[in-house]
Amino acid sequence: MWTNILKNQLLNKKNMNRRVFLKSSFLTIAVLIFSKEKLFAKVTPLDTLVLLQEDLFPLSKKLDSNSASYILKTVLNHSKIDDETKQFIRNGVKWLNEESVAMYSKTYTKLSYEQREKVLKAISQVNWGESFIYTMLKYIMESVLGDPIYDINTNQQGWAWLNYETGYPRPKRAFL
Amino acid sequence: MKYDVCIIGSGAGGSPIAYELSNAGFNVVVLEKGKYYKEEDFSKDELAISRREMFKPKLEDEFHIIKEKDENGNITTYDGREYNWSFWNGSMVGGSSNLMSGFFHRLKPNDFKLKSVYGEIKGSNIVDWPISYEELEPFYTKVEHVIGVSGNAKAHKFLEPRSTKNFPYVSLEENSVTQWFDAACETLEYESLPTPRAILPVNDLHRKACSYSNFCGSYPCATGAKGSARAALLQKCRAQIITEAFVYKLNSDDKKIIQALYYDNKGNSHTIEAKIFVVAAQAIETSRLLLNSHNKYFPKGIANNHNQVGKNLIFSAGGSGEGRFIFEDLTKEQQKELIQRGLFFNRSLQQWYEYEENGKVLKGGTIDFLFEHANIISKSLAEAYDSSGNILWGKALEDKIKKSVTSSRVLTFEVFNDWLPTDDCFVSVDDDKTDKFGIPVGVINLYGHPHDLNVGEFLAKKAVNVLEKMGARDISMSISSSPPPNLVAGGCRFGEDKKTSVLDKNCKTHELENLYITDASFMPTGGSVPYTWTIYANSFRVAEKILYKLNS
Repeated sequence: MWTNILKNQLLNKKNMNRRVFLKSSFLTIAVLIFSKEKLFAKVTPLDTLVLLQEDLFPLSKKLDSNSASYILKTVLNHSKIDDETKQFIRNGVKWLNEESVAMYSKTYTKLSYEQREKVLKAISQVNWGESFIYTMLKYIMESVLGDPIYDINTNQQGWAWLNYETGYPRPKRAFL
Repeated sequence: MKYDVCIIGSGAGGSPIAYELSNAGFNVVVLEKGKYYKEEDFSKDELAISRREMFKPKLEDEFHIIKEKDENGNITTYDGREYNWSFWNGSMVGGSSNLMSGFFHRLKPNDFKLKSVYGEIKGSNIVDWPISYEELEPFYTKVEHVIGVSGNAKAHKFLEPRSTKNFPYVSLEENSVTQWFDAACETLEYESLPTPRAILPVNDLHRKACSYSNFCGSYPCATGAKGSARAALLQKCRAQIITEAFVYKLNSDDKKIIQALYYDNKGNSHTIEAKIFVVAAQAIETSRLLLNSHNKYFPKGIANNHNQVGKNLIFSAGGSGEGRFIFEDLTKEQQKELIQRGLFFNRSLQQWYEYEENGKVLKGGTIDFLFEHANIISKSLAEAYDSSGNILWGKALEDKIKKSVTSSRVLTFEVFNDWLPTDDCFVSVDDDKTDKFGIPVGVINLYGHPHDLNVGEFLAKKAVNVLEKMGARDISMSISSSPPPNLVAGGCRFGEDKKTSVLDKNCKTHELENLYITDASFMPTGGSVPYTWTIYANSFRVAEKILYKLNS
């Protein structure tokens, strides 16, 4: 209902406002990861995102939801998603890698599954990390369960997973 | 060219005027800020409509400043852009009536005389309406026929007097779980009522019947069954509609509005001249336009020489709640009933529209029941936290979503009671901040009277009793003074005294000869039901007054 939706929106926004947003590059361009103020590694954010998507929602791979591509191509370019959110996604990928380096001296994609889980557990305990995981889940769920016209939810496998029948008529074109 | 009538806003407040006057042969133009979508444009695309809010302006471009006063008198200021706090709702031809659920209840006779019947409440500005229920009744009936209202006028303690025995359209088909609801109410000695809906169950009025799409509230209707101002009125009349026209100023002399100025989607300014102007841009935006249109005759804003424009803004008070029915608690037959798709859960309670507490008779309200919205993405995301408030991911989250979505269904309720008008809830305009057009944005000054919360909680507890009796689990309720952006009224209320109201009883401004306001701004008090039916009815009533004026 409207009251709860409004409160959640407000809560999320208040949390986000407390953070300082650093400027970062686009997901396709290498991001520099620093450790103790020294350049540690360069990572391609898309690689991090692909693996993160599988860690956060393993079924997304099996259901062929195209989540990483959706975030990269659709979310980061969408006319109705604000710049702050887009920047937060970019920064979150960078901060996740920095946390990985701080904990295990390796970037996220070089960690074992168990190590990645521990990194996610660690960031989930701090404000930005919890918001980042929720933001990623939000867009992953959109790609699992949104209309395939957005090049997601291939063959409606996400809907089949939940025995879900969508509403009709379905969209004739994507709203971007 | 000079039009007979220029209407600003194409929603439920403006469209009846356009329909009646253009069908009477007058030259009518409607200025609408949004685009013109029709049935063939509509789909059930959750990403576009619910998650990307395609029918609302982008907050970076158009926003409000919100100043919220708490019970201790402290005021917190929020910039709508930073806090993602939107008061927009349906920027499109037909306005938010496209997106309504269409729960249609009339006001009751006592809603027109709240002060006389229930007495003053300290800290509030309640007044009686300058018209009675009897004056509006013929127009409620007209709406039933022209917009199309379906239902069954079951006799009950607070059924309002009707000039016809029943609705012109039979009730929509219902989910079998309504029988569980009826049985629970019978045990509790509550009066279960069928909820009337502004939805056609059959092809009629040159519109198609409901397709039971399972996606009604928040979505525009692809068949035209829902009685939006666009489908029911604007597509049935010859009024000229200019879309993507943002009216930013009204020019006047000391007696009359002369011009409406608007920006098109390229930022070019245009001028419209007319004999009569009708503003119906949604309560907050209507007050904003008047305040921003100040000139030497009206230095504090059009029609505001008595400082009443923007005052006594109200919302629908109340809140919501829910209970979950879990398959493992049910027989196979009950499970089948529970998952029936698309059929409506049209039930409401009005037994406590008035109730007694500590020897005093109080105004209560309405409780509407409905199934949780079918949006699957939001439903799945609601499972992202465990019961301790920790965020989940991986298989734990997948299993939780699967279990919740495939083995249970949630029944929700919404409580509607009066949001008392006060000095602290009003619309003003910001001194510094402007929207993408360079026009000062509206400031929404919020305050919820504590009395509203008490009434809301009283009603919500009754709804909880029903859910418990029905066997629901995980029952919760949330009553707060959060303002629902789709249920806003007041700001230019009507009344006999120009020192305490903006409009006369015919919704013409006291201070100008040719300016009418016909959205929910006119309402001094909101009743305890969704507003749309009353907005439609009042607008049809005012259309008669304007027609008389034009003909004489």
